[in-house]
Amino acid sequence: MSSNRDFSRDGTFLIDLTKCTGCRGCMVACKQWNQLEAESTEFFTGEGYENPPAMSEYTYTRIKFRDFEKNGQHEFAFYKEMCMHCNEPACASVCPVGAFEKTAEGPVFYKEKRCIGCRFCMIACPFGVPKYEWSKALPLVMKCTGCLERLREGLHPACATTCPTAITYGPRDEMIKLGKERLIKHPQRYVQKAYGYQEAGGTSVIYLTALPFDELGFKQVTMRPLPEYTWEALRLVPGIFLTAGAGLSALAWFTHRRERLQKELEKERAELAAEEAKEDQE
Amino acid sequence: MSAIRRVIDEVRSFHWFVNLMILVVCIGAVASLLRFVYGLGVTTNLNDSYPWGLWISFDVVTAVPLAAGAFTLGAIVHCFNIKKLEPLVRPAIVTGFLGYSLVSVGLLLDLGQPQRAWHVLRYWNLHSPMFEVSMCIMLYTTVLFLEFLEPVAQKFGWKVSLRLLRWLEMPLAIAAAAISTLHQSSLGTFFLIAVDKLHNLWYNPLLPLLFWVSAICTGMCIIIIEATASHKWMGQPNEGVLLETLAKILPWTLGCYLGLRIYSLLFHAVGPFFDRPVLTLLFVLEVGIGFLLPFLMFCRKGVRENDRPRAMAAGLVIFGLVLNRFNVSMFGMMDPDNIYLPSLIESLVTLGIIAAHILFFVLIAKYFPIFEHHPETVDYSIPDPLFQGKGKDVQQTSH
Amino acid sequence: MTNHWIDIQHADVIMCIGSNPAENHPISFRWVEKAMDNGGKLISVDPRFTRTSSKADIYAQLRPGTDIAFIGGLINYTLQHNSIHREYLVNYTNAAFLIDKGYTFDDGLFSGYERGSARYDNSSWAYQLDDNGNTLRDDSLEHPQCVYQLLKRQYARYTPDKVCEITGTTIQDYLNVARTFCSTGRAGHAATIMYAMGTTQHTTGTQNVRSYSILQLLLGNIGIAGGGINALRGESNVQGSTDYALLFDSLPGYLKCPTYDNQNLSSYLEKWTPQTNDPKSANWWSNTSKYMVSLLKAYWEDVATADNDFCYDYLPKRSGNYSFLKLMERLKGGGFEGLVLMGTNPIVGGPDVRSIAVGLGNLKWMVAADLWETETSVFWKRPGVDPSKIDTEVFLLPAAASVEKNGSISNSGRWAQWRYKAVDPPGNAESDAFIIDQWVKNLKQIYAKGGVFPEPIVDLAWNYGDGHEPDIDLVARECNGQFTRDIEIDGQNFKQGQQVPSFAFLQADGSTLSGNWIYCGCYPEQGNLMQRRGVNDPDGMGNYPEWAWSWPVNRRIVYNRASVDLNGNPWNPQKPVISWNAVTRKWQGDVPDGAWPPMSEDGSKYPFIMNAEGVARVFASGLADGPVPEHYEPMESPMVNLMSGQQSNPALDRPGKVDRSGLYYIATTCRVSEHWQAGAMTRSLPWLVELVPDMFVEMSESLAEEKGIREGDMVTITSLRGSIEARALVTNRLKPFRIGGKLVEQIALPWHFGFNGLAKGDSANVLTQAIGDPNCYIPEYKAFMCNIKKGGQTA
Ligand SMILES: Nc1nc2c(c(=O)[nH]1)N[C@H]1C(S)=C(S)[C@@H](COP(=O)(O)OP(=O)(O)OC[C@H]3O[C@@H](n4cnc5c(=O)[nH]c(N)nc54)[C@H](O)[C@@H]3O)O[C@H]1N2
Ligand SMILES: Nc1nc2c(c(=O)[nH]1)N[C@H]1C(S)=C(S)[C@@H](COP(=O)(O)OP(=O)(O)OC[C@H]3O[C@@H](n4cnc5c(=O)[nH]c(N)nc54)[C@H](O)[C@@H]3O)O[C@H]1N2
Ligand code: SF4
Ligand code: SF4
Ligand code: SF4
Ligand code: SF4
Ligand code: SF4
Ligand SMILES: [Mo]
Repeated sequence: MSSNRDFSRDGTFLIDLTKCTGCRGCMVACKQWNQLEAESTEFFTGEGYENPPAMSEYTYTRIKFRDFEKNGQHEFAFYKEMCMHCNEPACASVCPVGAFEKTAEGPVFYKEKRCIGCRFCMIACPFGVPKYEWSKALPLVMKCTGCLERLREGLHPACATTCPTAITYGPRDEMIKLGKERLIKHPQRYVQKAYGYQEAGGTSVIYLTALPFDELGFKQVTMRPLPEYTWEALRLVPGIFLTAGAGLSALAWFTHRRERLQKELEKERAELAAEEAKEDQE
Repeated sequence: MSAIRRVIDEVRSFHWFVNLMILVVCIGAVASLLRFVYGLGVTTNLNDSYPWGLWISFDVVTAVPLAAGAFTLGAIVHCFNIKKLEPLVRPAIVTGFLGYSLVSVGLLLDLGQPQRAWHVLRYWNLHSPMFEVSMCIMLYTTVLFLEFLEPVAQKFGWKVSLRLLRWLEMPLAIAAAAISTLHQSSLGTFFLIAVDKLHNLWYNPLLPLLFWVSAICTGMCIIIIEATASHKWMGQPNEGVLLETLAKILPWTLGCYLGLRIYSLLFHAVGPFFDRPVLTLLFVLEVGIGFLLPFLMFCRKGVRENDRPRAMAAGLVIFGLVLNRFNVSMFGMMDPDNIYLPSLIESLVTLGIIAAHILFFVLIAKYFPIFEHHPETVDYSIPDPLFQGKGKDVQQTSH
Repeated sequence: MTNHWIDIQHADVIMCIGSNPAENHPISFRWVEKAMDNGGKLISVDPRFTRTSSKADIYAQLRPGTDIAFIGGLINYTLQHNSIHREYLVNYTNAAFLIDKGYTFDDGLFSGYERGSARYDNSSWAYQLDDNGNTLRDDSLEHPQCVYQLLKRQYARYTPDKVCEITGTTIQDYLNVARTFCSTGRAGHAATIMYAMGTTQHTTGTQNVRSYSILQLLLGNIGIAGGGINALRGESNVQGSTDYALLFDSLPGYLKCPTYDNQNLSSYLEKWTPQTNDPKSANWWSNTSKYMVSLLKAYWEDVATADNDFCYDYLPKRSGNYSFLKLMERLKGGGFEGLVLMGTNPIVGGPDVRSIAVGLGNLKWMVAADLWETETSVFWKRPGVDPSKIDTEVFLLPAAASVEKNGSISNSGRWAQWRYKAVDPPGNAESDAFIIDQWVKNLKQIYAKGGVFPEPIVDLAWNYGDGHEPDIDLVARECNGQFTRDIEIDGQNFKQGQQVPSFAFLQADGSTLSGNWIYCGCYPEQGNLMQRRGVNDPDGMGNYPEWAWSWPVNRRIVYNRASVDLNGNPWNPQKPVISWNAVTRKWQGDVPDGAWPPMSEDGSKYPFIMNAEGVARVFASGLADGPVPEHYEPMESPMVNLMSGQQSNPALDRPGKVDRSGLYYIATTCRVSEHWQAGAMTRSLPWLVELVPDMFVEMSESLAEEKGIREGDMVTITSLRGSIEARALVTNRLKPFRIGGKLVEQIALPWHFGFNGLAKGDSANVLTQAIGDPNCYIPEYKAFMCNIKKGGQTA
């Protein structure tokens, strides 16, 4: 599957969680731009002021709060969850009808008119991003669009535009460079790793953090592009089909050969006998 | 009016078990109607962190290998030319056809947009194992349908088509085996993408191969069970001798599977393996009782030659396969903080589908000549127009 | 703000004290973080560990109402460690000034206290003068009566141990703050203070701010880039509204509101125009007459002439205190017939709201102009009352929101930025300008037919066009000011009707009018400068002089003449605000506080031009409760005052209460970024309700454990005013304080909830008390005592 496309100019989010204030402006901007319904919530559903409980058909992006004490130090940290816009998206590779597309601009875009609603994308996505319209009789998948329509109008994504501090948006190579610069300039502030640089083969959302990624709730994922895992098997399909078909045919031919020979022999004999009989008649 | 009368009378005359099945199917049908009225969210316990549940795990991932008898036997009989097993082919084909048809029903229920199922034909994504499986299932169901046409044609005495079908038997069997190889294994490919989700005990790159081999084993075991059951409860002839032949093949395939399984775990999977006690238990049950024990049993002549132990061993393999498919598609994928249990409606639908399978099999067996088929004496030659009307031949050959 | 938002990036140390900018001023954090990226340190001083604290290098917990103790300790630290910026202090502040010999401070009381009236006679707080009326000073700062020595004496009592015993801060955190913040007392280092309501909403609110100013002056941090004392203003245009006389004691441009004894213009001017003998003091307020006359001309234009005192008589004269607190007191007593509420929701936002709600029922009529139906406009159907028993007639005028109208908004950095109408208001909603315009026009018609003293209304110049909406452009032009006749000033000729270029041209003879002198220059002849969007940054300091317009005269950092040494060279040459070019003999950089040459030259002026002394007041005699800040306990406190025998602010007419029952906990109120104020604007928006759907109370894990309360439980909170219910948010972000040797628990309540709207909840202000600071009467919202128990009110 591994495509040879150059991802370095793809529109990419550099999300620096050491700069995120958990203000949640991004969540509201996203709902406004995408005109998503508000969820009905009660009190808080996680640590800190966390709400709604998870990303969902109504919520493309969400701030996850971490509120705890570590070595006598408060930790009140925030993690903006959203679609990672993988360079080689698992969701796109498994979709039987090709409803996902990694666009030239960077976002992985969902063509809802194609979707048959099988939810394989949800199984495949290593980040747990695609969500389903469970409330509907004929549901579709919902996920962050990367604000493709805005990009095509020359704007930046709604959440990135709203964010006062944490999100920088730009070409992937520049975001990687900027991220690296920050890691070097402030070795104390950051965990020395950029999540998304290589995760799942590289994504268009790259995170920097102060706390270890797993403590913030980041998923541990493979560094290989996921489509490779299935493609390794799938690319064998034509071969297997032909080999199996041909092999079985040959086998059948062999195993039936004796029978055929037998029959031919009988036929010959019968013919011979018939001729003999004819001759006899004559 | 009288037609309906006759149907009602007919139904009345059924065995209570059959009527029970009809009831379960009806309940299942109502339940699946609810799914369309209220949506998946309300009627199932599926959610965003657990998007595939019982319907996918059982109705698709498990039902497909359970219906593997048809292609396995087809290949054995036609390709390996082990002709004496041929009497088992037709029931296997019926089981297969029913199985696949019901898989499609299950899938359609599970799809969010079933009315768009045809999109798979319209928008091809060659990278998608699901695309591949859907295509295969469509093709294979067609093949099975064609194969199933035989007893139908026979019943209604369509001689030409029957002859034609007989003639097609071999290529169809080959196609069936090839297609099945693909999709049985591709069901395993599904989960290759879940590299960070499926537990290490089950995730490894050989998953497709393991799925295929285990499907073959199961195909044979299903035939054993089916034949034994239909002998016992449906008054069909005892095919014991034939089953013994199958049982002789089984130690080889099961051994093969076990070998592969151990090899894949040792050399292709990454630990930790035994970090979650429940999964460890499931693994031990699956491999130990589901595959190792029947393997040892089938190695013994006494087991192979006797109906009961043979059927029991076959049952264990089926148990192993079912558990394996559930482990891969459900338990091994489950987030321990977010346990999924199928809802009542999901369970009713699945029960309905299982009941439908049994029901249709019984009905087909009742009305179509699927067990009377011992075609050693059948004439395979292209029908001679001069001998038209001599269709009785065929019926004469049955016993 | 002395500085502005973008300038925060230049700070070496940022102290957020009494503010939570990450949540309440999110955009500001862009600049806070920029400063941190450049190596700056962030300190958060707050009773609660907030989202701001989460980003801070140092977090110090302090008990609500103890800022003076905290800062007093830092002042002491600075003085003890000699971290002062001496040259700055001697030359730019009154630290060297000698104070009257009669000045004393004893056991919490300054000299001049009158016990019966709870007032100070401040005559002993004055400077010592020589025979010519010049202030005496000792530049060595050694004289025992000099401000510096008085300060030393005052704050020597604020030892770290004593401070921490009062504030509950751990000594390590405290010393860490002291070391870090006071390290900026050197030239070339800047610290800024970002403060807001945690500072001001106290009975010592004004002195809290004073304490910050004193610390900053000692460290030489005012006037410089990355320094200053920065009030993070609240409501989006609250800066603009205070500039335009939101407060009862001021007229536009902070001119004083006349009092009953200012019988005519000259007595008004005599009383409110400060005097000085010092030729080096610019004493800017000496121009009061020009600004006052121009204002009167703007109000009554041609009718206002020198002969009739420019209609000074038309101005109402105040005879008392019209603060919100006093008005509400009077309302409760049935003192008003009618009430107009434009964009305010007092029965959620005011203190002790149940009594305000009762007061509203005494009205004959009430008008509310608002975007929403607020709790206040439906006060007559609040829970627990019988609407049929309330006779008030209520009118709700639907108002247009900010994006539905044109006009300027002034931000905290004093930048007046023009905004454009984006969409039409929905339904019948109209702009506030329309509503006022209609009122005035109708009143004029009615009063033209006669009435009691109709002239101020009938004669009022009201020339904003006859369109549906008043022409906001004309309003802006008038605020800037115009020449009322052809005139020559300093050799420049101006025509009648021309825009006045800056307030330096305003006149006291009626030849100019200006609706607000500090805005004079925002709309000169060349056009509306508030509409500018130039992104030129000539000196790379981020002042963007061509972006909008800031008062005064587009100066971006006020008191910037204090950012240079006596020779006009910046204290920090890397980050100059202005600098003196000896060749061109001109200042370069920001607009200086006056073009005079540097202090070392003749003809120079002191940098703090708004003070009569020309220097900043470390010691200030003008406040009601003392010339320097002294720690007093909040009106409701868990402990006796450890600093003196004076429990609470002596300038208040009520004594403070100490709670010794141990059943009561310290309570404070706060905001969350997800809601806005009294909540009408956010509790009606599903996207925000989703984020914070319920009224909650934050409490420590230890308090929850003690009370058997679990996260999410409904609890009842009771104060002397009433009780409310809320959901318990149990968190280690709140901790009990170790004060006076024992542990005292605190709770925090967001005050955004009310009984109306999409998300409903009890109002925190049921619990708060209606008592305020003696200088500005801001209520003590931030510190009071309450009890808490498991279970809701109905439970
Ligand atoms: N999202 C949002 N933003 C807002 C508003 C809003 O309602 N919502 N309101 C706007 C308005 S009008 C204003 S005035 C500003 C107010 O802005 P802020 O003053 O920042 O708001 P608060 O949360 O009321 O108080 C700030 C902090 O003071 C702390 N505090 C309490 N008591 C004390 C004390 O005695 N000393 C110290 N040092 N700190 C104390 C509180 O714990 C709180 O964290 O915000 C403006 N911005
Ligand atoms: N306990 C406690 N109480 C507090 C505080 C605290 O920290 N603690 N903070 C205090 C502070 S700092 C403040 S500023 C006050 C604020 O108290 P209020 O001013 O009473 O509160 P807001 O909710 O801001 O009210 C503004 C109203 O104006 C409406 N509005 C918005 N735009 C427009 C417009 O263009 N035109 C008109 N006509 N209406 C408009 C809104 O819908 C809203 O109802 O509350 C104070 N109350
Ligand atoms: S994060 Fe998931 S949904 Fe988003 S592009 Fe990657 S695989 Fe697809
Ligand atoms: S749910 Fe839709 S988008 Fe997702 S894999 Fe299935 S068809 Fe594709
Ligand atoms: S990129 Fe657009 S759709 Fe995605 S989270 Fe941001 S605002 Fe929402
Ligand atoms: S808008 Fe930016 S700072 Fe605010 S929560 Fe979102 S990512 Fe964090
Ligand atoms: S709410 Fe408005 S004024 Fe406040 S920080 Fe956000 S953008 Fe600025
Ligand atoms: Mo405010």
